[in-house]
Amino acid sequence: MHLPKLASIGIRAPRLSAGNLRTPLRTLGPGSVSSLLKIALDVAYVLLALITGVLLLLWVASIFIPIDNLNVTVSDGADGRQMPLTRPLLLFGVGAITAYFGGFLMILRGLRKIFRTLTLGDPFQPDNVRRLRQIGLILAIVTGGVWVAQGLVAARLAPGVMEPQGVSDLLTPVFSILVVFVLAEVFREGARLRRESELTI
Amino acid sequence: MAIRVQLDRILAERRMSLTELADRVGVTVANLSILKTGKARAVRFSTLDALCRELDCQPGDLLAHEPGPGDAFDDAEE
Repeated sequence: MHLPKLASIGIRAPRLSAGNLRTPLRTLGPGSVSSLLKIALDVAYVLLALITGVLLLLWVASIFIPIDNLNVTVSDGADGRQMPLTRPLLLFGVGAITAYFGGFLMILRGLRKIFRTLTLGDPFQPDNVRRLRQIGLILAIVTGGVWVAQGLVAARLAPGVMEPQGVSDLLTPVFSILVVFVLAEVFREGARLRRESELTI
Repeated sequence: MAIRVQLDRILAERRMSLTELADRVGVTVANLSILKTGKARAVRFSTLDALCRELDCQPGDLLAHEPGPGDAFDDAEE
């Protein structure tokens, strides 16, 4: 069957070219989206550093402060159960929160350095590969740590109140971690191609 | 890398400096230096064409193959 051409019946198909596929905003270089994100990361990094510092001081202080008459209330809303606040429990609680924030502080530190290279318009550097791998590793440790800590709390501290952790809770974090490691490999390949291009005369 | 660029020998034969060649070919001295010291990974045909034109030689005069131990694995190791 012969079909008439689109132009002959008055329909013009849109042309796809590199110009059409470009994003309206600049994503790399000075004054681009990445430089805005870098400023946001800088602010978040300073705030997180302050919070982590305060938590670290609190953790050190919790070794010495008297906690004889303090209780912890474990509750799921209706009726709570009280249990004495022990020194190991306090140190575990404050320490876990400090480690959580410290982990994200290290992730933000790496991200800031990566975004600095994006702002300079030169992202494919071997250092970025190392940074992305570190971020993936820290993310894995923090996620695993949170999963184990929540499991411990659910089993020991609040049995029946908190739902025990399941393996399905790890699916999304594991996927994110794998994406970071794949991104690191993409950057490694980019850095290799950049080096090849530099040494092509 | 088993490929050797014999640029210094040809330059000496032609009594030409690297800077002069760089000016004639339109390649920076730094890039020609990379080529001369054997650090280059690839040569564009356009560069090779310009080099041969200015030095009045054939590509085979510029390049030589000198196999050594483990050369085949150079790329795999990196």
